[in-house]
Amino acid sequence: MKTQEIDRIWHWRTTLFVGIMLAFVLLLGVSFGPISLDFMKILRTLFGLSGGLQDEEKILFLQLRLPRVLLAGLVGAALATSGAVYQTVFRNPLADPYLLGAAAGAGLGATLALTGGTQSFYAALPLFAFIGGVLAVAATFMISGRAFADPATLLLSGIAIGSFATAVQTYLQQRNSEVLRPVYSWILGQLTVADWNVVKWASIYIVVALFILIRMSRLLDGLLLSDEEAFSLGISPNKVRIIAIGAATLATATAVSASGLIGFVGIVVPHLVRGLTKRATNRALFTVALSGAAFLVLADLGARTLLSPAELPIGVITAFVGAPFLLFVLRAKRVLK
Amino acid sequence: MIEIKNLSVRYGDFYALNHITLDIPRGTWTCLVGPNGAGKTTFLKTLLGNKAYDGSITIDGLEVYKNLRNVAFVPQRPEIPAGMDVAEYVMLGRARLDGWGRESRTSRRLVQQILEQMQLAGMRHQLVTQLSGGEMQRVLIARALVQEPELMILDEPTSALDLHHQISTLNHIEGMQKSGVTVVSTMHDITLGAMYAERIVIMQNGKVLLDGPANDVIHSTQLKLAFDDAITIHTLDNGRPVIVANKSTAIL
Repeated sequence: MKTQEIDRIWHWRTTLFVGIMLAFVLLLGVSFGPISLDFMKILRTLFGLSGGLQDEEKILFLQLRLPRVLLAGLVGAALATSGAVYQTVFRNPLADPYLLGAAAGAGLGATLALTGGTQSFYAALPLFAFIGGVLAVAATFMISGRAFADPATLLLSGIAIGSFATAVQTYLQQRNSEVLRPVYSWILGQLTVADWNVVKWASIYIVVALFILIRMSRLLDGLLLSDEEAFSLGISPNKVRIIAIGAATLATATAVSASGLIGFVGIVVPHLVRGLTKRATNRALFTVALSGAAFLVLADLGARTLLSPAELPIGVITAFVGAPFLLFVLRAKRVLK
Repeated sequence: MIEIKNLSVRYGDFYALNHITLDIPRGTWTCLVGPNGAGKTTFLKTLLGNKAYDGSITIDGLEVYKNLRNVAFVPQRPEIPAGMDVAEYVMLGRARLDGWGRESRTSRRLVQQILEQMQLAGMRHQLVTQLSGGEMQRVLIARALVQEPELMILDEPTSALDLHHQISTLNHIEGMQKSGVTVVSTMHDITLGAMYAERIVIMQNGKVLLDGPANDVIHSTQLKLAFDDAITIHTLDNGRPVIVANKSTAIL
């Protein structure tokens, strides 16, 4: 006899589809650029078969394209997932990963590194940005005190800390006008410095953070209910909030320190996935992560090729493509009602 | 099972609950009755454990405050999440039993079974935001049922339901109670409450005015007192009490 049970609630087909998309986009990403590489040769190189890429092409692929595309994927996944999580935690569809001061703190950290003047400071920029971002979010939690359980208080604290950090950053920039240009280009986001080292440490933090968030997706869904309901369902709302914000901040700070401030991914991708699947729950987190990766790899491809051989800041692409597309989906689906 | 001693909840100087002492034995159905603002909902939320209080509430000897336990809660005004369908919503009731991020076969089977029992199977893919008040109420009850709780706390479980669904919902809750679940509920409809609960607690201004077997409480003078003498109690031929508001005083 066939057992009666409810259908599996998140359809693996959606995830599979997005996964295949991502693989395709990754392949596009490594193959296109000022110098195009052959699809088949790339695949042969990846699988260690004969007849793969040779000499300069191989170096270009392994040392430049591949780390860059992978980093784009990681950063995209981190920002999109954190965005979705922040939107859940704050019960606010406009929440984005930079909201609690992570962006402003990282910006301040980066500016400090750049105004330090020496080359070694410059190399430590990602570390400074990371610490700045994490400290800013920690400060946000501290000043909201015991009221952190109230999303509105936490949000306002984040805005206060963010403004403060931005003010200090602006002051530093004005005093050291020579850093204006590098700071500005960092703020717009760039993946040009991607090398295997960056990919390695970024992937550790981002993968750990995303694993935690995806594992706790059903607990996150519990936060969509009132705190009393969540509590009665065996979900400790405050604990879930702290863990979720902690993990999302880790992912965001890592992404920001590796690639600067790439805007809009954290808002556009979660809403795209919700719009297309008509679901707003965190079951979709894994799909959101894959979509974010695909979105950013594609955006980076645009940034590299549109004005080739010059490069556009990737943030320009994410907003330029993302904004109209998001509007289109929202109009077509009217998801949130 | 539940021992409440000297329980008080204050908002500033205002006592929402004022030194309440009650014992609730396992497997019973206790119904709280009283005018608006008597502290019924506060009492239920405090019993849940997510709210600070003075005095003590213990379940099987364990203080409830901040202690997660297997309790189902049906709120009067639930937060209705966007973009979640009925099946997912009911499945949340299994979060505790399945653990992090898992969804067991048992859970999926049970959810389907309960949805069918509650005549909700047809709308399992419908978004909860699109449900009517009565449908939402039944979905909430379904979520409570799949929790397989030891204690069920229900705030006005029938307020949004039509007569037919009132009875079928209460029958479901009674079924749970018969299988050993302790039920604590509030109900504005005292007549209905007396039909199902074996025990009625009358509350007024944060205090327990009277507490006893349903039949005794219904026919006591304190019940009238709690409602400012604005109700009349009739007895039907089959002995069932029916409580109605007096028109003249009710509009004051």
